[in-house]
Amino acid sequence: MQDGVVLTTLDEFLNWGRKNSLWPMTFGLACCAIEMMATGAAKYDLERFGCGAFMATPRRADLMIVAGTVTLKMATRVKVLYEQMAEPKYVISMGSCANKGGPYWQYGYHVLKGVDEVVPVDVYVPGCPPRPEALIEGVMTLQKKIANERLLRNKWVKHA
Amino acid sequence: MHKELSDLINRNVSGANAVAYLTADAKKFDSSITVETSHIYKVVEFLKTNKTTSFNSLHCISGVDYTDYMEVCYMLTNYDPSAVRNLTLKVRVTDRVNAAIDSVVGQFVSADFLEREVYDMFGIKFNNHPDMRRILCPDDWEGFPLRKDYVAQKDYNGMTVYPDNKMNMEDREFIVRQNMIKKAQAEKAQ
Repeated sequence: MQDGVVLTTLDEFLNWGRKNSLWPMTFGLACCAIEMMATGAAKYDLERFGCGAFMATPRRADLMIVAGTVTLKMATRVKVLYEQMAEPKYVISMGSCANKGGPYWQYGYHVLKGVDEVVPVDVYVPGCPPRPEALIEGVMTLQKKIANERLLRNKWVKHA
Repeated sequence: MHKELSDLINRNVSGANAVAYLTADAKKFDSSITVETSHIYKVVEFLKTNKTTSFNSLHCISGVDYTDYMEVCYMLTNYDPSAVRNLTLKVRVTDRVNAAIDSVVGQFVSADFLEREVYDMFGIKFNNHPDMRRILCPDDWEGFPLRKDYVAQKDYNGMTVYPDNKMNMEDREFIVRQNMIKKAQAEKAQ
């Protein structure tokens, strides 16, 4: 009997489930998406973190990796995609362009200066583009963040 | 090479007024032929159908803004190695407000997207084009970005293009100050 019982808190159990099955959306905007693909492929294997199941629709995804330059034309689409995702949902801003406009920050008339202008961002990954190790670091940082969530203080519950 | 070609055009297309512009090294692609704006379709048709030149590919159309006039460049190619391989054909557009020239889609289908891009960036309309819309910028975009007098929008669909808290204002002020110093020095020199 004593081997068949595991005691844990509900918070920890929910967070354990959430952080180990982050499903990202198949969504790439520019050259950062190439690094994201490399991260998902065999050599870096994002599946080790339960994060490799790239979903083809926002409705089945938990995580949006904004990989690349967000132009003003795309920004409205990014916002729609974020709104289509089911809660709880997380956003990783990958690369300089998505963080703050990147090389287009001063004279880029067509580029949004950071994706955080339109969607709330959980983790920023710096680099141009970031290496796969950097994206994995970002994913692990997000997992740590999810592990510390409290169900009743959760922003998703508050908004419900 | 360009000299003979321009003579050939002048002989066969009346009113084309082709002028060859030659650089020292003819093998580089800097040499070009400028033709009359209203005759661009006829010249392209001639260069394509005629047996001695028979350019069979239009691989690039680009616009240039020289502030007092605009220029459209057509890059024609012939895949036959024994013939003249490359030609840069230029036309001038002097009217900036109602800029319009004839489309060459009737001769080269590849001109479709290329002309749309030139329209998107420079605002030069192409007459007889099957689908004259913007290709890269959104349909509700204001202005033509690659014109020299273009001023970027402040807001687009509720998004601020240059948010003050994200700009490096020190850099901007530095550039403004440098320009003022340059201006003062220029005035002093006069």
